[in-house]
Amino acid sequence: MHPIFLPTALLFAGAALEIVLARILTRATKGWLAFAITLAALLSVAAVLPDVRDGEALSATLLDWDAGVPLAYHVDGLSVLFMLMGTGIGAAILLYAVRYMEHEKEGTTRFYALMLVFIGGLVMLVCSANLLMMYFAWELIGLCSYFLVSFWYRQQAAADGARKVLIITHVAGYGLLAAVILLYARTGAMLWTDPAVAAGLSTGLVLLMLVAAMGKSVMYPLHTWIPEAMNAPTPVSALLHSACYVKAGVFLIARMYSIGPWHAAAGPLLLVVGCVTMFVGIVFALKQTDLKRLLAFSTVSQLGYIVTGLALGTGLGVAAGLYYIASHALFKGTLFMCAGAVQHATGTRDLRLLGGLYSRMPVTTAIWITAAAAIVGVPLTNGFVAKWLIFDAALDAHQAVVVLIGWAISMLTAFCFLKATVSGFFGSPAPELAAQKVREVPVFMLLGMGMLAVLCVLFGIAPQLLLEPVIAPAVRSLGFAWDVQMSWLGVATGSGTVGVTAGAVVVLTAALLGAAAYRLIRIPTGKAVAVFAGGDPLPVGDTLGASDFAEMAEAAFKPVYSLDPDPLYLRIWAGIRDFARAAGRFAAGRLERHAPAVVVACTAGLCAGVWLL
Amino acid sequence: MSIELILPGCFAALALAIGLYSISVRQGAAAWWLLAGGIALAVVTASLLGHSWTSTILLDVAELAAVALVRLRGTPEAARAARLYLYSIVPAIACTLAGLAIVGTGGEAPWPILQKLAVCLLVVGFALKLGLVPFYFWLPEVAAKAAPMTAALVISLVDIATFSELAGLREIAPWIFERYAPVWTAIALISMAGGALLALAQSELKRMLAFSSVTDLGLLLLGVVAGGVGLTGAWVGALNHALSKVLLFGAVGIAAQRIGRPVTLDTRGLAKAMPLASAAFVIGAFGLIGVPPGFGFAGYWRLYTAAAQYGGPPLIACLVAVAALDLLCYARAIHRTWYGSAPVTLVSQQPAYLAGGVLTCLAVGEVLLGLWPDVLTGLASPVVAQALLH
Repeated sequence: MHPIFLPTALLFAGAALEIVLARILTRATKGWLAFAITLAALLSVAAVLPDVRDGEALSATLLDWDAGVPLAYHVDGLSVLFMLMGTGIGAAILLYAVRYMEHEKEGTTRFYALMLVFIGGLVMLVCSANLLMMYFAWELIGLCSYFLVSFWYRQQAAADGARKVLIITHVAGYGLLAAVILLYARTGAMLWTDPAVAAGLSTGLVLLMLVAAMGKSVMYPLHTWIPEAMNAPTPVSALLHSACYVKAGVFLIARMYSIGPWHAAAGPLLLVVGCVTMFVGIVFALKQTDLKRLLAFSTVSQLGYIVTGLALGTGLGVAAGLYYIASHALFKGTLFMCAGAVQHATGTRDLRLLGGLYSRMPVTTAIWITAAAAIVGVPLTNGFVAKWLIFDAALDAHQAVVVLIGWAISMLTAFCFLKATVSGFFGSPAPELAAQKVREVPVFMLLGMGMLAVLCVLFGIAPQLLLEPVIAPAVRSLGFAWDVQMSWLGVATGSGTVGVTAGAVVVLTAALLGAAAYRLIRIPTGKAVAVFAGGDPLPVGDTLGASDFAEMAEAAFKPVYSLDPDPLYLRIWAGIRDFARAAGRFAAGRLERHAPAVVVACTAGLCAGVWLL
Repeated sequence: MSIELILPGCFAALALAIGLYSISVRQGAAAWWLLAGGIALAVVTASLLGHSWTSTILLDVAELAAVALVRLRGTPEAARAARLYLYSIVPAIACTLAGLAIVGTGGEAPWPILQKLAVCLLVVGFALKLGLVPFYFWLPEVAAKAAPMTAALVISLVDIATFSELAGLREIAPWIFERYAPVWTAIALISMAGGALLALAQSELKRMLAFSSVTDLGLLLLGVVAGGVGLTGAWVGALNHALSKVLLFGAVGIAAQRIGRPVTLDTRGLAKAMPLASAAFVIGAFGLIGVPPGFGFAGYWRLYTAAAQYGGPPLIACLVAVAALDLLCYARAIHRTWYGSAPVTLVSQQPAYLAGGVLTCLAVGEVLLGLWPDVLTGLASPVVAQALLH
């Protein structure tokens, strides 16, 4: 067996081992086993890294999955980026899950086996040279997502959420299947590495693939499943619905650059979709008072940034998109784990019932703030570098409007996370919470989320550590030249980047000056200070809470909330259901009641048809 | 080894599964066992014999025995369903026998008028036997009113064996399908769309399963008409259909026995009391609608490929639309009936361990075959090659 199959084999074997040893292992041991297997898979992926550094790829065939359908891998820089993400972040999240899931009375075998199958499926997806196997892996991870969201299937909310996940992502996935099948019927080739596939790619097929990618990667208007998926256990939300699962769609978009020329046909459309998604996601996030739903909608917005980067169609845009993918996986995974820690410690994730956690969960608070800073794009974090790269790429592609939109949405993101941070971690705790004994979460949970937070800062201070060895090979593997020259803190050092560098310096200086000014002029007083609350001053003693922000956001963006496509989906479903019922009534009333006559009439009709041929 | 051995092997395995299940969840008295055993034996023997008069007659006998098996339930509804089944099967047998007599050994009939007559008889005969739209009337009644394993026997064994007889004709007398493709295609498409819509209109799960069989058989018929990779897809799809339907009827049967009434969309939260049956239903449903890694996908990708070659993007669009309707239908059944927190009242507290074990084995088989279908399709490779040559 070629070493490139090792990560997949390890993960699938691990899942099987979880099932076989289910009766012997304790709940925690199952978690440790899953963690160890994912770590081993990560190491085996890291071993492949040197082989793809300069844009080369490793190819091998393991066996025939079906008659004439080989399970063939083609591992290049793009594959390695996603494999590292899946196994690396997967390992951190599984470490976190050991303690998080320890209290579950049943279902832990199912949970860990599905998590391992999911990571294995993701690895298979990004490595497959065979398009049919790619679709197989696409649906495999989809099914894992469905079963993990319905982990607490006895709870109506979890069951309903899972159903929505299944319907939207699977129906959109038919786009990929149809494209693959039509491409195969047209060219006779199933391997995307075959030049015949590139020759057979048409605008229609590209659009079908994009529909599938939009469903998986929560692009507007196919994003509405993700908030409902938040009824899953937090490690699931962290791994699937922030770090990896939602990245499958953007992987497909990136991979399409390897498959054939598609950008001219669909790039501008995708750019619009990316920008709209950015906006809609964050506006809906502003409205949320449930911490995980807020994070879910912010994922929608962040995926908009990523798709925008990839849709620019330039080397710099693709580099920005790919760097953003890795960065988002790190900070959003961390944020979800923090949300899970809060829920674990307090029993709620409702921002209206939280507050003052800083004094009781200081480490979680520090980790949350680090990741929140990253998502907002504060300098010294990877989020800043990612946003900076996107803006740079958009300017380079003469898309100044994209920069303006991205910048405005960054501000809304800051507003959204300020609300979450203040409501959850600062101020006074809600009366219900004040009576509770809230303690810091166990050390392994802190370690799991802390590791990712450290990486957020590390790749913010030294982005070249991620850019050179991981992102550059991925960009080269997609047929683009690597022309990103970036140094410490995300300062661009390439020729023609003076403006961007100067801008970065201005932002950084402003941030430092702001911090210094705040330090110098702050009056140390215990009294509440007057703040502008969007209108008349608040009555003495009142403070702004999560619901106030939510109401303000709702009022300010009211027209945007009408863009929610769910009512339309409901109408479509109702239409189908009513039509089916009408068909059922017709069949029962007209056809079945007069069955002999119908049979005779249809036989006559068929015979007439045959006779006419 | 070829499909001629795989098919009877699968039928025998499914018959064994149905038998073991029926020990645990009672389906009928001694007469039921006698008839069910006879039907299984006839179907296995017929599929071993391949395309021959003996095989055709054995299958016809199995169908008539299935009518008696439905009647055995003893309720007035079952008697009515059996009557409906009989009224459909008798003309169907007459039509297919006459049609096959004209077709003979497979060479073209001497006169065009006889060819047309043969095709008319075969279309009507097989449409009646398989319950294709608009000749479906008996199928939902039999599925709803007979015992669950009777329904499984009829749909998974008798119907699939009949379908394999039809698929066999594609190799022996391809002109039947090639020259009259529009008629077969029309009946396939109407069955797919009609079955999917009518399945969505049902609230009783066994009736829903019957209509979803109509949809699936329409798709399989399309594969037969398209030929080549479509025919291979139809064989694989037929095996998957048989396996999935035993799983689905088995799961519903366990649930119906324990709650003491038919399972409908108004039944809630069954998974809480019956997690194994629930898992079997979910796996069977995903297998049937072709979601990877279920075995169904191995048939579906071939059928889709054949459809793309045969009808291009419009036909693929039809297939996707029907698949989406199927998904909506099964997702609703899973989430309304099995999942959720609503309390469920059990009239039987005795868990059906053996039936649960049988369903577990079948569910594992469904997934393992989906993970590596080459185990089965590779074995049938000479036939695959032959089919591809056509």
